Amino acid sequence: MADDKKPVKLPRTAKGKKPIYFDSTTDKLLSMVLTLMGELSVMRDRLDTVERLAEKKGVFKLDDIENYELSEDVNKIRGERRAAYIARVLKSVQDELDALQQQGDGMNVDLPQ
Amino acid sequence: MIPQNMHSMFARPNHDEASRQNFVNDFRVHLASKVFPGTFPAYFSRVLPAFIKTQGREPKDRHEVRKVMTKDPYYQLWSAMQRSSQEMIWDSVIDSVERQLPDLLKKAKDLKGKGSLTINPDVKVPKYHDAADIHLQPGAYHTDTTEDDLAAGAVYDRGTYIYSMGGLGKENDGLGRITREFFRRQFPDKKIERVLDMGCTIGGSVTYWSTKEPGTEFHAIDVGAPCLRYGHARAKAVGGNVHFSQQNAEKTNFPDASFDLITSHILLHETSVQAIDSIFKECYRLLKPGGVMLHLDLPQVFGQNPLEGFLWEWEIYNNNEHFYGQLRELDTASVAAKAGFDPAKFKIHQVASTWEDGQTPYSNENFTFPVYLAVK
Repeated sequence: MADDKKPVKLPRTAKGKKPIYFDSTTDKLLSMVLTLMGELSVMRDRLDTVERLAEKKGVFKLDDIENYELSEDVNKIRGERRAAYIARVLKSVQDELDALQQQGDGMNVDLPQ
Repeated sequence: MIPQNMHSMFARPNHDEASRQNFVNDFRVHLASKVFPGTFPAYFSRVLPAFIKTQGREPKDRHEVRKVMTKDPYYQLWSAMQRSSQEMIWDSVIDSVERQLPDLLKKAKDLKGKGSLTINPDVKVPKYHDAADIHLQPGAYHTDTTEDDLAAGAVYDRGTYIYSMGGLGKENDGLGRITREFFRRQFPDKKIERVLDMGCTIGGSVTYWSTKEPGTEFHAIDVGAPCLRYGHARAKAVGGNVHFSQQNAEKTNFPDASFDLITSHILLHETSVQAIDSIFKECYRLLKPGGVMLHLDLPQVFGQNPLEGFLWEWEIYNNNEHFYGQLRELDTASVAAKAGFDPAKFKIHQVASTWEDGQTPYSNENFTFPVYLAVK
């Protein structure tokens, strides 16, 4: 059994050829930016938990964070905040979309989904 | 993210893992709702006019659109971010599974419940699964990392929920809900004693069926051992009753005329044209007279304009869904006829993906799954 041996390491990279979108370096930079974006979001979530616990109890233990149960309300608040955060970081993309739409053509196109 | 119901076999994320998974979900919602729509004005405002200017006509098919759209900076950026988000799904899930694997293996062993599991190490993973890891899940459905491994199944259970942005429902069994509702609409009184689900992975769909049709004996096959082991444990955890066995749907060990109904859920597009031929033939052999074959899969190219056709194929070129390309234009009616089915009893239905709680981004009336339905 696995618990008698060294911890199992699961595969972390998918087999198969990775497409090139811009060039190898730019693709890696984009991937780094998106990962950082995710990690900042994770950090903010964690801080949020700490703040809420601190408010609730006046004092907190590290273990309290691990056991924190996300309530429906907090989940909703976090979801909205995350959407705003994503929109902020990806503003340059939104700007391009806005510019495209202002050109008129395609504005009345039926979008799928 | 709408919370997924976590059964006892679920690899529960800790605080930061859950945050990471929530982020990937919300990021993908943003990409789908705020970034992807820009590909349309990008096409109509600059890519299409440039094409017409040089060619004197519009692109005649999705392949011509592909040649020009993949050079458009807006499309490139969306596509690159979509690809990254897919990699981030698995990255956000694997930590939880790896951390808890010893515990999950023990739980699977100790769990009491119905059904059975038969692993056959002689089953070879076909080339169409081994060539590349489908939808970028590292190790795909079949890689064993330890004895009695089930990690791939645990990763899949959470990863596909995030992939679908919750669209598969809180129990991750949405496709099974769709096929059962459709089947019972088509055949309200049909008695089904034995049912086979092909390419079941973790058995989300067939396990759902087994909870709704308690008098029926359910079998489920797949080539991926870790998914089957997880599927069996998961079925026990949610009160299902399914006999899982490791088999290739192209050639099984069940006797002729074993089943009243054979189903599959998004299996065909992950196999090859030759395999689909064999699978339909095997269905014909395994069905009793009057038995029903029901395969639900992803949309084909028919009825899509060149731009839609191109956009639908993103997964083929960017998400290791290489074999979906073959299904896109396949004449499934001919395949069914060749397998022995009466052409008058074969029909492709377009099935809308709504169900009772309405919880799915696919519940849009415009989105339908083709269902290949035949009666023997």
